[in-house]
Amino acid sequence: MTKQAFLSRLEKGLSGLPREEAAARAAFYSEIIDDRMEEGLSEEDAVAGVGPVDKIVAQIIEETPFSTLAKQKIRPKRPMSAWEIILLILGSPLWLSLLIALFAVVLAVFAVIWTVVLVFWIVDLVLFCGFLGGAAGGVLLLAGSSGFAGLALFGAGIVLTGLSLLLFFVCRAVTLFAAFLTRKIALMFKMLFV
Amino acid sequence: MDVQLKRGLLDVCVLAAIKDEESYGYKIIKDMQPYVRLSESTLYTILKRLEDAGMLTVRNALHGGRLRKYYRITASGRKRIDDFKADWEEIMAVYRFITKEDRRYD
Repeated sequence: MTKQAFLSRLEKGLSGLPREEAAARAAFYSEIIDDRMEEGLSEEDAVAGVGPVDKIVAQIIEETPFSTLAKQKIRPKRPMSAWEIILLILGSPLWLSLLIALFAVVLAVFAVIWTVVLVFWIVDLVLFCGFLGGAAGGVLLLAGSSGFAGLALFGAGIVLTGLSLLLFFVCRAVTLFAAFLTRKIALMFKMLFV
Repeated sequence: MDVQLKRGLLDVCVLAAIKDEESYGYKIIKDMQPYVRLSESTLYTILKRLEDAGMLTVRNALHGGRLRKYYRITASGRKRIDDFKADWEEIMAVYRFITKEDRRYD
């Protein structure tokens, strides 16, 4: 890749940043590529040495606070005329509700994910309670006269414990996966504003 | 290595790279290369942070028909290095205490 191609791809990737910030980043890379070439590297090698553009862009976006990205996104590219401002205000019932709906959808997705997690943990808890009930009932019945029923109840309790122990590990995995999904979705949402 | 610890270390490394004479981006990376590998975007973030904290100043100078940014350390940057050395003395004392315990249980 030529230096020019690298820089234009970098600036395109950073278009969500304030313009002077994106320009400063690009100038920094431009200088380092020039310095590498001055040392005798070919343009191709000098560009390859700083790493893939996509990775650099992703790293910079992740370091940039969400508020900076959002502010840049809503800043008009040129001063707005009075008519545009009036239209914007008149249209607010439309675009404002759409924006709120977008936020609500993201929130709803998070809620669905974490509800599934909650359900897993509740089922596990219920199974564990089944063990306590089974054990207690079994001991009571054994202490009384009906030995067979007591033994059966106690056995059922032990089976439930086994299930709840197994499910515990499933629950843990589900929770970790939900946390992973939440992070991914948050990053995707951030990328919407770039 | 612990992220916080590494971040503080890298800040001081960059200051050390410009403590004798002013330097520029590529030279800083090259000078640090034998000791620690630093990516360009990480260096940019560190330089920005140190500039905002007043530990270095930046000037543009013409070099071979193009502009190059030179970074110069300030008094508070030098103080940061001295503080780091003092901290490190303490850490080494604790380190010696920790490894002494190790030997006793060997």
